[in-house]
Amino acid sequence: MHGPHVHIDDEILGKAYDARLVVRLLVYLRGYWVLVCLAFLCLAGYTGAQLLGPYLVKVAIDGYIAAKDLAGLDRVALAYVVTVILGFLCHFGHSFTTQYVGQRVMHDVRQQLFGHLVTHDLAFFDRNPVGRLMTRVINDVENLNELFSSGVVAFLGDTLMIVGIAGAMFLLDWRLGLLGLGLLPVMVWATNLYRKKARENYRESRKTLARLNGYLNEHISGMATVQAFGQERRALHRFMEINSRNRDALLKSVHYNAIFFPLVELCSAVTVGLILWQGGRMILDDTLLPGVVVAFIQYVHRMFQPIRDLAEKYNIFQAAMASSERIFRLLDEPARIQAPTEPGTPSATAGSIEFQDVWLSYVPGEPVLRGISFRVAPGEKIALVGPTGHGKTSIVSALCRFYDVERGRILVDGLDVREWDKAALRRHLGLVLQDVFLFSGTIGENVSLGCPWITAEQIQEAARRVHASRFIDRLPQRYQEEVQERGSTLSQGERQLLSFARALAFDPRILILDEATSSVDTETEILIQEALRILLESRTAIIVAHRLSTIQFADRILVIHKGRIREEGTHAELLARQGLYARLYQLQYQLA
Amino acid sequence: MHLLIPWFTRLAIDNLAQGPGRRWDLLLFPGLIALAAAGQGVFRYFWRINVFGFSRHIEWDLRNQLFAHLQRLPLAYFQRMKTGELMSRLTNDLASVREMLGIGAVAALDGAVLILAALPLMINIDPWLTLWSLLSLPGITALVLGFGNRMHRGYREVQQFLGKLSIFVQESLAGIRVIQAHAQEDTRQARFAELSAEYMRKNLVTARLSGVLWPLIAVFSGLAAAVVLWLGGRRVLLGTLTIGQFVQFNGYLAMLTWPVMAIGYVVNLYQRGSAALARLVEVLETPAAPAHLTPDDGSPRRLEGAIEFRDLSFRYDPDAPWVLRDIQLKVPAGSCLAVVGEVGAGKSTLVHLIARLFEAPEGSLLLDGRDIRAVPLSRLRASIGLVSQDIFLFSETIRENILFGRPDATVQDIEEAARIAALLPSIQEFADRFDTLLGERGVRLSGGQKQRTALARALIADPPILILDDAFSSVDVQTEESILRELRGARTGRTTILISHRISTVKDADQIVYVRDGRIVEQGTHEELLAREGHYHRLYRRQLVASELEALAAKENG
Repeated sequence: MHGPHVHIDDEILGKAYDARLVVRLLVYLRGYWVLVCLAFLCLAGYTGAQLLGPYLVKVAIDGYIAAKDLAGLDRVALAYVVTVILGFLCHFGHSFTTQYVGQRVMHDVRQQLFGHLVTHDLAFFDRNPVGRLMTRVINDVENLNELFSSGVVAFLGDTLMIVGIAGAMFLLDWRLGLLGLGLLPVMVWATNLYRKKARENYRESRKTLARLNGYLNEHISGMATVQAFGQERRALHRFMEINSRNRDALLKSVHYNAIFFPLVELCSAVTVGLILWQGGRMILDDTLLPGVVVAFIQYVHRMFQPIRDLAEKYNIFQAAMASSERIFRLLDEPARIQAPTEPGTPSATAGSIEFQDVWLSYVPGEPVLRGISFRVAPGEKIALVGPTGHGKTSIVSALCRFYDVERGRILVDGLDVREWDKAALRRHLGLVLQDVFLFSGTIGENVSLGCPWITAEQIQEAARRVHASRFIDRLPQRYQEEVQERGSTLSQGERQLLSFARALAFDPRILILDEATSSVDTETEILIQEALRILLESRTAIIVAHRLSTIQFADRILVIHKGRIREEGTHAELLARQGLYARLYQLQYQLA
Repeated sequence: MHLLIPWFTRLAIDNLAQGPGRRWDLLLFPGLIALAAAGQGVFRYFWRINVFGFSRHIEWDLRNQLFAHLQRLPLAYFQRMKTGELMSRLTNDLASVREMLGIGAVAALDGAVLILAALPLMINIDPWLTLWSLLSLPGITALVLGFGNRMHRGYREVQQFLGKLSIFVQESLAGIRVIQAHAQEDTRQARFAELSAEYMRKNLVTARLSGVLWPLIAVFSGLAAAVVLWLGGRRVLLGTLTIGQFVQFNGYLAMLTWPVMAIGYVVNLYQRGSAALARLVEVLETPAAPAHLTPDDGSPRRLEGAIEFRDLSFRYDPDAPWVLRDIQLKVPAGSCLAVVGEVGAGKSTLVHLIARLFEAPEGSLLLDGRDIRAVPLSRLRASIGLVSQDIFLFSETIRENILFGRPDATVQDIEEAARIAALLPSIQEFADRFDTLLGERGVRLSGGQKQRTALARALIADPPILILDDAFSSVDVQTEESILRELRGARTGRTTILISHRISTVKDADQIVYVRDGRIVEQGTHEELLAREGHYHRLYRRQLVASELEALAAKENG
């Protein structure tokens, strides 16, 4: 089961009420104020209907039964039926409306959050692990859901009910009313105690359950490893240990519940007893009618349910406040890469690139690019060669504006990338990455990335031209075949070809290729080389090359070393220079 | 006990109606009520603790059993069953069984007792009133029955869809580079909006169901109360019923609302629980891998390491295509075999058979001259160190991962294994060194780091047979060569099987086989195979240039 990930460190709870957060949350209700009003009306109606029931019983007993008025009794019974039906309508109205509003708000928050996240630069994603961001979008928003749909309204409803019942009791008879509320402090105290215990325990059991399921999930996925190392027995022992801890936490909560809930009933029974005692004395003194006692007993029964519910609501509030705080903090984080005030696209988009003294650092003070300058003419292909970690990929990232440069500037078709319309720039550039990332969905969707203006014909044409159709045609559903668990059923080579098809389908003027290092078998290698040739045809290209065979496609070669360009020139020029590249070539010549 | 409370209430009220003079009674009945409630509380406490506790223990036990059994199942089972499906059985199904045994049992018994006890008492008060007032209660049972399963299904769907939404978010964030590079943020967001709206809709379906169900239940019980008020009121008015009895009757009626709901609820729980139990039993009844049934015969603790394939052919299922055909191969103890060939040629299957992760046909695979089926599994697996193609590391510390196969290894052993695997330089980069946590909540290792960690894990037990299934594909050539050098130094007497695409990895092996479409097509030493000018030679020509370039670039770097 792909359950939401639970991050324990994210569960530190704060206040149950924070005015600043509440105000921000209320803003989301702006569009739904009519529905919110309706929900409150229904809530008030429901509470009223609930309060009216016992009162009608009292009227029936004291007014009509005592007076032997049959017709009156009929009327009261009819009125009772009316309150029941009214109660039903209001109850349904308020519970559905609040659910509806809650779900709408969640939908809005989720979308806002997701939209905010995908526009961040890559530095943001370097700082924030995917798991944590996911918890924001999924779990924290879900917590808000509880706040809106079952929290706030139920909280208000319960409070209203308690106040209403208390009011009704005092109106009927203030002395009995005092008695009826007499055990309320005890209840509040017990509820508070229970709430604290239950919360600690709830967190413990959630934590252990998350661990248990995590362990289970991992050991099912890694069963081959467990079996290959013959570690079944030890794995079982650890599993039992976690399982026991989870069971003990749960047993504890069974214990708390088994104490608390009967305790509530005891309180309610004792209150009923007190009312009977005092009410009885008053009836004997002729200062009270028996119907009042009957109504009181019913009120007492209706009062304890909301108290019980409130105990549970408090924890929901706390969790939701903490979640909303985290969500807002994330939303408040500004996107580092600023969109230009007047985004532009150059008139001529032939595909030229120019780096002018470009400096870039991910960590301040540790530049990874130190004054890179070079020019690529339209249609020209250059290869970046050099050791790993010396800046080849950073050049690519800066060009795509995944990060903004520190000094210098990068011109694409004469316009600084920071002045380009971001979407237009990225449509202009095509990026093929080393490790091919596949999304859930069909093969076809992975080529088009769901982009609406790429047709099925274009997808197939692109796949055919880079030879990806060879393996796609062998799949039972062809382009409709679902990609299994991130493409695990496709080989390295097949995934490479798929990413070429993706690049071709988007048909960029400038192609940026970060060549894969991992080895593939020979046949696939030939296909990949062939596909590359087609892909590079009549495009400007920057290739981060690992194989000499790929470098052969390039018009010019830059040797990148420690964030600088160490050698630059055409194949012939570099050979004449007798540097690093020359030695590489000699080696190849000897081998051939 | 519960039933006493309305009864005492009635006595108290009727007592009032009898007039003055018995003031001490005023205290008696309320006192009795409190006592009855206290007694009921104590009783309920033990009853709940026992039943809920029992269901938790059963769940615990069943979960342990399931896990233990899963570990003994053949790997083919896990290829057939998705992880998600198994997880759902061990979480959702297990929960359904627990609910059936816990809440289900409590509700069934509570309900049955209350109905059986309250009904006669109500009939005793007034049979006709009982009949009329109870007319609407079966409606509640029917409601819960009808809505229960639909709500549960709806809830499941919501959960499943939330999983889908999570995966979408997860992929979008992990693949953000691709999305941004193709300027597809808007497409992605539009898709997310669709999914989010669908999720909202599914939530609202359940919300509508539960929004109707609870108020409707209240309507039915409210109608019953209205009937009592009307008919009961009449009887009080006519003097055939006392006010006390009227209140008592109301008390019982309120008590019955829950049991009639419970009937529907219990039926639902039972349906779900027994279906879930059937699915769990299905897992438990899946036969264990035969490998786990091999008896221990007291043969030497470890194997020597001689491997022989005798005309072995293999396929995963009787109706599946052959993966390996007519494999004839001898690997003497202490020698090194290299396997090359194209993707999907059957290389990995070959080594998985040696680790008995899959069953070789009888008599076709011999270890130290004995059929692999006769070798006790614990011996076999203690003798084999396997680094497979797709590395699986656990979300634990690096140390725990390396210690996986041999928990009692010393610190020196760990460092030695990490040194041979060229893992030490990477480990020095981590602040917590060997105690660095891996996985989602820890450090994400690069492909090469993973492979080297897995190698250290395989080496720590110093196994007589070491199998490296394309274990260096993400390690650069220079590092790979140093690892191989170290391995050769430490390898005396160890049988090594290398699977690789790289000539540099395999060229020093004692024998090399080239596998194509499940058959061995070339076999010999590096020189012999080159001389033959076949598949191996072509592979050699193609790769040498590229690997030398990488090596040179790496040296330049150093």
